[in-house]
Amino acid sequence: MSIKVGIPRSLFYYQMYPLWQTFFEELGAEVVVSENTSKKILDDGVRICVDEACLPVKLFHGHVISLKDRVDYLFIPRMTSISKGEYICPKVGGLPDMIRSSIKGLPEIIDVEINLRKSGSSELESALDIGSYVCKDGRRIKRAYIKALDKFNEYKADVERGFIPGDDINRKRNIYVVKNSELLNIAIIGHPYNLYDSYVNMNLISKLRGDGINIITHEMVSEEIINSYADKLNKKVFWNFGRKALGSVRHFVERNDIKGIIFVVSFGCGIDAFIGDLAERIVRRNSSIPFMFISLDEHSGEAGLDTRLEAFTDMIRWRSKNESNFSAHG
Amino acid sequence: MREKGCYLGIDVGSVSTNLVIIDSYGNILEKLYLKTGGQPIKAIRSGINILADVFGQSIDILGAGTTGSGRQLANVIIGSDIVKNEITSHAVAAQKLVPNVRTILEIGGQDSKIILVRNGVVYDFAMNTVCAAGTGSFLDRQASRLEIPIEEFGKYALSSTLAVRIAGRCAVFAESDMIHKQQTGHSIEDIINGLCEALVRNYMNNLAKGKELAEPIVFQGGVAANQGIVAAFERELKAKIIIPEYYDVMGAYGAALMAREKMRHKAYKTNFVGFDISKKDYKVSTMECHDCSNMCELIKIISDDVVLARWGDRCGKWSELDRNYGQVSLGH
Repeated sequence: MSIKVGIPRSLFYYQMYPLWQTFFEELGAEVVVSENTSKKILDDGVRICVDEACLPVKLFHGHVISLKDRVDYLFIPRMTSISKGEYICPKVGGLPDMIRSSIKGLPEIIDVEINLRKSGSSELESALDIGSYVCKDGRRIKRAYIKALDKFNEYKADVERGFIPGDDINRKRNIYVVKNSELLNIAIIGHPYNLYDSYVNMNLISKLRGDGINIITHEMVSEEIINSYADKLNKKVFWNFGRKALGSVRHFVERNDIKGIIFVVSFGCGIDAFIGDLAERIVRRNSSIPFMFISLDEHSGEAGLDTRLEAFTDMIRWRSKNESNFSAHG
Repeated sequence: MREKGCYLGIDVGSVSTNLVIIDSYGNILEKLYLKTGGQPIKAIRSGINILADVFGQSIDILGAGTTGSGRQLANVIIGSDIVKNEITSHAVAAQKLVPNVRTILEIGGQDSKIILVRNGVVYDFAMNTVCAAGTGSFLDRQASRLEIPIEEFGKYALSSTLAVRIAGRCAVFAESDMIHKQQTGHSIEDIINGLCEALVRNYMNNLAKGKELAEPIVFQGGVAANQGIVAAFERELKAKIIIPEYYDVMGAYGAALMAREKMRHKAYKTNFVGFDISKKDYKVSTMECHDCSNMCELIKIISDDVVLARWGDRCGKWSELDRNYGQVSLGH
């Protein structure tokens, strides 16, 4: 019987899953992902997690609970840094420790550190360490990693072409980028685990789509473009998400087809607090593009979200109608 | 004389449910400000009932609009032609009464908003984030704790000589600050004045930060009745604040104006079910769906044994069942 590796459908799942899944499957392991976020997962996570954590970290706890009795290993890498000179949020870095101290009866955790902050540190080394839990053949692990990287690059190219991953990252929410002049382009920036988890964001993506919006996420902007704009910022942003968010905001502001920008934040997220504020300044100082925050937390009342989204798209349509000299009351 | 072509607007908010009847020129014929009291359906029905008593058969409703956090519910009960968010509704109403308005401050029961208008269109807006400190329901609660009628609350602030410092960021901290200041012997007037200043400070910080608040500035929503808050805004902004005549029902007025706008160009008949909804029986039942681990909390609205609408499901399988919102079963 093959070894079962459990991956919580949470946090970095929404960025890395194609890489992780291919890697473990190539090594002969069976990958088990927790189900889509649900009220039960949320409740379990909120109950067991330390109170001051943000909602995404609480949800991660809930996903671990739903997986822990079904798998041989839980894959919770210690994500310190995923690119040179940059960090990830400390809570994500300390995730394996948080989980161990809060949840009882866990299977073994694969908690190899991924730290690519310093030059010379290699992803392959981390991959060999991770692979050694399920396979002893170093060459096979290397081959699996190369194959996984191919899959991952394919996936990233798909996203750049305009695909929005669903809750299940392999199921795309939109296969074709709609090039229809009737649709409004709205850029959405936020942590992938907030953008793609439809429970947490209360169906943000499909609500906007249903209102005739074409969504462009910061993940659809290529790394080259993001870096070229991030270099123009006053100071180097040392958070991985921060660089992507601010680089893409600068890019969106210069494009002439973006009619609005929405920044999705987790309530209580320190990085979002900084980056969101800087993003708003970039937008307001360099353009007249409408900008709005959507703040996500435990509340499940959708009226507040619906009102903001509807008012935002109303405003954009009203403004563009006015700019093309139609009567606003026509 | 039978008034030709009137329009109805309803704003179902967390604290108040407001109804407005306008004529075909957009003039308000009647306005009602009712407490929602946690029972929106009851409030809507009693509002319609009052309007039926006032107008009887003397007017024809050609269109109806709903807004506010209970706008979907109101739509199911009365059958409306347009269902709009509060921001758009408030902006439309403010522009009708103060045509050159550039800044709209709106504080309601659980939301506060700022709307910037430039060249006649909404240019930017913001709503309070997660905390309801500084909104109507918090003021309501403090007024009842101090045993002062809410209508009098603001007047106390005006006779204060000194504003004591109250924390405005959080309703819980604000309340404990108020209690602490009251126990150390500060006068009630000064404490209320301090609260007004705190709420305005919080509003400026939470909503108005980085925005240009150009005159004319209009202040509307239920809290605009509070003279203490108005005075604190004027001190903070160093500008004249305009309180429009119908400040407390602006959402409903906007909804009525939009219904008029939509219907006067269209040949089709209004969805409005008529003033006799008070004769019908409405029931709401709730259930938890156990078909998946989301365990959605479903709401079912039933009238005379006919299911009008269901919502609350994430997957949509229940709400899809009654897509036409029961308009057929209501006798159209």
